[in-house]
Amino acid sequence: MTFEAPDIDYAGLSPVLALTVGVVLALVVGLFGSGRRQRIVVSIFGLGTLAAAAGLCIWQWGESKELIAGALRIDDLAIAATLVAIVSAAFCIPLSWREESVERPLGPTGHGEFQALLICSVLGMTLIAQAQNLIAFFVALELLSVPLYVLCGSATRREQSLESGLKYLIIGSLGSATLLYGLAFVYGASGSTDFDGVRAAVGGAVVDDPLLLIGIALAAAGLAFKLSVAPFHQWTPDVYQGAPTPVTAFMAVATKAAVFCVVVRFFDVALGPAVGDWQPALAALGAVSIVVGNAGALGQDSLKRLLGYSGVAQAGYMMVAVVAASEAGVSALVFYLAAYALMNLPAFAVITIRERETPFGDHIRAVDGLGRERPALAAALTISMLALAGLPGTVGFIGKLFLIEAAVDSDYTWLGVMIAIGTMISLAYYLRVVAAVWMRPAAERPAGGAMPAIAGGSQEADTAGKGVRCRVILGATLLAAAATVFFGVLPSPLVDWAARAGESIAALP
Amino acid sequence: MEEIAFFAGAIGALGGAIAVIALRNPFYSVLALIVHLISLAGLFLILYAEFIAAAQIVVYAGAVMVLYLFVTAYVGGVEESIWEPIPGQRFLAPLLAAALFIELSIAVVGTALKAVESTGPTIPADFGSPGSIGELLLERFLVVFEAASMLLLIAAVGAIVLAGRKRERETVPARGAGR
Repeated sequence: MTFEAPDIDYAGLSPVLALTVGVVLALVVGLFGSGRRQRIVVSIFGLGTLAAAAGLCIWQWGESKELIAGALRIDDLAIAATLVAIVSAAFCIPLSWREESVERPLGPTGHGEFQALLICSVLGMTLIAQAQNLIAFFVALELLSVPLYVLCGSATRREQSLESGLKYLIIGSLGSATLLYGLAFVYGASGSTDFDGVRAAVGGAVVDDPLLLIGIALAAAGLAFKLSVAPFHQWTPDVYQGAPTPVTAFMAVATKAAVFCVVVRFFDVALGPAVGDWQPALAALGAVSIVVGNAGALGQDSLKRLLGYSGVAQAGYMMVAVVAASEAGVSALVFYLAAYALMNLPAFAVITIRERETPFGDHIRAVDGLGRERPALAAALTISMLALAGLPGTVGFIGKLFLIEAAVDSDYTWLGVMIAIGTMISLAYYLRVVAAVWMRPAAERPAGGAMPAIAGGSQEADTAGKGVRCRVILGATLLAAAATVFFGVLPSPLVDWAARAGESIAALP
Repeated sequence: MEEIAFFAGAIGALGGAIAVIALRNPFYSVLALIVHLISLAGLFLILYAEFIAAAQIVVYAGAVMVLYLFVTAYVGGVEESIWEPIPGQRFLAPLLAAALFIELSIAVVGTALKAVESTGPTIPADFGSPGSIGELLLERFLVVFEAASMLLLIAAVGAIVLAGRKRERETVPARGAGR
């Protein structure tokens, strides 16, 4: 038996290496100092790592090569998903400053651990976006999920957060187990763990093998759990509401980007020849998700639950792009993932700020009269809501247009109609938030302190009351909101970017 | 020879499994579980899965079971309740087990045992051997292998973060914060 050292392409692997170093650095640096100093030092390293990884990704943009003997592959699709994950992580780090669960000595987590977990999750997302193999796919999925379970439960003083962490852990493990079982069946049917090998086998004789069909069904269900696609979405509102808001923001945006990337590779590429087996199933999942998500969001008074249900609906929209199974579909998906990040992050930032400013937590009353009180925040939230609803002039409109176009091109016109119907329903709840911001007077605050009852004790009020006017958060929020409008009016840079990502998958029509 | 090994392993596995639920002392139950796991490792060996057999013994029969033994020794000596904890369990449990057995038998017979006469799939000579798995871990799955180690690291960090809660709870009353 001879051992041949694999040819390691360090340039292609550099984003992964940078993130790995960043995790360790954040952990070590977090040991020194506490309070303000710890926050500054850790954030410099954390944001520096993310910036370095983003820079290396941009450097590798346009490359298309196998890494490590074909277990991973770096191409424009992987880089695009990685960049979305990195941007949303970088956005969440300022949001986590002064979060009660993170700020030592009161919070149990500490900035070092928080950012290490966050960056580790980004590392998992980078790997899953590059995966070319069922084994790499599964390990990366776990690397992405485990830090998120912990982050959801990291506000250990609030029972809701613990509940959220536990729920996400149990449901997430169930999803992982289902997926793994499905992947085992796919391997059993095709005899290969490589996506290319699966594709070759599926293209041959095993298309009608019941093993393969069971595998596809189980894998689709497992991935639907991770993507919060209905009917596997029940955990979403609870977990989104219970988790600390910066974590929710990261989870909502980055997880979708990375997992949808691997869904494209798994279904559109590896199982591409068996398209007739999975296309109707995924189409049904997408349609159900659009209906359930939009209907569920209608009666919600909690903004985070509202965005949770809205996320279910948006996952349904994005599923349509996977169903299309074409290059246009992948481009539309990448465009929509980037747009989703730009639209969602400002909304979560405003919720975070209002949670600290008002005693209402994430209840919709927290944004009553925001237009008069904080016009800049109100504008950002309004833009974000209108973009999520898909109004013209925002990036959300362009994104939905591409999704519908991809669906129609692949003879799934009825799914395009579903998107349009879902958008109409969604206006009801998005506009309700906008109306609260601009038309209602500020809600009266109960006397005795500006802090919600969840914290208790005066020290928390000191920590949490501060930082609501943090310029970094405000700047990032306004920047994301401005980008939402900018790419809505002039979409061509983002469209070109998404088109490049779509072209990187050669196997698609 | 193969038949003897198979029946030795099968009897060990079944006997161990029955002993786990039949023995009243939890300590003996854990020991019986070790017998069960080692017998399973023997069955894996017959299937030419040397690596899985070794991992089964080192990880399950070794590390995990030692943990179980510690826990039973630490918690052990709990008086068993005189009443059944779940009403009707003595009656319902065998019923459900029988139903499961019948269901599985139907499924097995339903396949008409097609593969019994065949020699099984053709695999490369060193498939699943420790050498070829080690080669895979160092070649194709190098990064994935390292990612697994990152996973363990971050799981440990996460456990510490969540376990830090107890310490923090204890200090809360000391600060006199009204909860």
